[in-house]
Amino acid sequence: MGSRVEILNEGGFRSDGRRQYELRDMSIDLSQQGQADGSAVVTHGLTQVLVSVFGPREAKMRSQTIHDRANINVEIDVFVQVLQQDGALLQACINATTLALVNAGIPLLDFVCAVTGGVHSTSPLLDLTFLEENDLPNVTVAVMPKTGKVTLVTMETRLHVDRFEEIFRLAGDAGKVIHGEMKSAVRSRTSTLVTAMGSGSRVVGGEAAEKDGDDRMNEY
Amino acid sequence: MLSLSKAEKSYIQAGFLASPPSRADGRALLDFRSVALETGIAPLANGSARLNIGRTTHGGGGGTEVVAAVKLEVESIDEYSDGRDGGRIVCTVSCSPSAYPHLSSGALDDLQADLTSLLHQTLSHSSLHPHNLGILKNKKSWLLNLDVLVLSDAGNVIDAIFMSSRAALWDTHVPRTRGVEYKARKGSKGVEGGKADMDVDEEERSGFNTLVIPKATDFELPDFWDEGEVLDGRNRWPVAVTLNLDSPSPQEAPTHFLDATAQEEAASPLKLLLVVSFEDAGPAVVQGMRMLGPGELTSSQLKELVKVGETYARNLFIALNAKLKAEDIRRNQTARERFELHR
Repeated sequence: MGSRVEILNEGGFRSDGRRQYELRDMSIDLSQQGQADGSAVVTHGLTQVLVSVFGPREAKMRSQTIHDRANINVEIDVFVQVLQQDGALLQACINATTLALVNAGIPLLDFVCAVTGGVHSTSPLLDLTFLEENDLPNVTVAVMPKTGKVTLVTMETRLHVDRFEEIFRLAGDAGKVIHGEMKSAVRSRTSTLVTAMGSGSRVVGGEAAEKDGDDRMNEY
Repeated sequence: MLSLSKAEKSYIQAGFLASPPSRADGRALLDFRSVALETGIAPLANGSARLNIGRTTHGGGGGTEVVAAVKLEVESIDEYSDGRDGGRIVCTVSCSPSAYPHLSSGALDDLQADLTSLLHQTLSHSSLHPHNLGILKNKKSWLLNLDVLVLSDAGNVIDAIFMSSRAALWDTHVPRTRGVEYKARKGSKGVEGGKADMDVDEEERSGFNTLVIPKATDFELPDFWDEGEVLDGRNRWPVAVTLNLDSPSPQEAPTHFLDATAQEEAASPLKLLLVVSFEDAGPAVVQGMRMLGPGELTSSQLKELVKVGETYARNLFIALNAKLKAEDIRRNQTARERFELHR
């Protein structure tokens, strides 16, 4: 089946109509799911992943606690549920986990944004679908956008070392684009919450609280 | 599942037995929480549905959330596989650990196994079996996989599982197939009747054996993009209604209530589960019945409860059908509008 579908045709279009470096439609849903402290549903095209975060709370299994110290042992549970699979699964899981942790209010140094990349003969492609992932050597790269540091590079297929640098760099840049999407989703969710909170207090106090909230959000 | 103190339990129970009876959220004993249903949520599946009972507000969270999806795969009927002529149905329930964060993985597996066996035994019964799951008689058939995922549990999860299963099965389309035969042509093997799109095993036949009467040994999809026909018997799929009972004395009729929240379930663990199927204009058929939890009922009490339970199930069935028809219209309408814009 894979050989009948052109990965990249002469016009520069891929099997789903995208361009070489075009990322799939991405949607982020940060509304509450169940009893989780934080949750996120991230969709890249047809790949959909739900991540729920519980924590910090007391460790459920006594074997995982430290017994010879007097501090409180906490654990953060991250549950990843794959709802639909169409390639780039690790990418979606990492992005959703970052957003769920942010949604749960757990302090993080920075976002972690992931993207998959592949190489079709000499052309690098970004954000691969299931068909493309089966046919091409592919790599998943995760970056922390503020510093540009790379936290994950993983590849289980063979790729010529001459081709690697280009796709690695491209994937890193694409990670920053995804960071933009994630940031705006978090901002709109936070501003909804801040407005809801501010609407309860007095007018003067409420406005000041909103302004503070906006300033703090602008730092990121 | 939730652990409540004795005081909380007796408080909730006293509420049911008071007159007029009162529940924590102000509902009547027989009131359901609001149910949200959407079909076709997984375009990669042959049929799917997402159901939520008791979601707080628009965009809010909580409630019992269940996703059901149907996937069809082709099975060969031979001594090596489990394939059966006319197709078969396999149901599985999995519980996301985020739905039961306080359960250990062993207890979670037990719960999953219980719900799976309940759903599978009820829905795979021959009385509900759809008639269009065969492909080639005694050679190939469809295996229907119904997978249900419990994303969160705020009580009444069994009713939610059966409702979403019915919705996903209602939404299921079976691809249309056509048998193709291989005929020997001038001594070489050739295929007549179109390209075979499916990757299937070919039966061993010599191309030189022109004396054998040809019959269909493989099948093809006449139209790759066609969703197919609806699953047969879509109106037969049952709904479940759980009657939560307070421990009654054998003389009086037990008080019962519907759609328990997690706390109410913990306070009244005795339940009678009824799975009822309604074919159009026919009498109600009880497809399954379970008594769950500690307690006992006399047979006359049981008879009474089954009678009222059937009425509740019928109301649930009618309401669910109305929503399923509305969903069909909504989805077809969007498709029609999209085509209109492109004209």
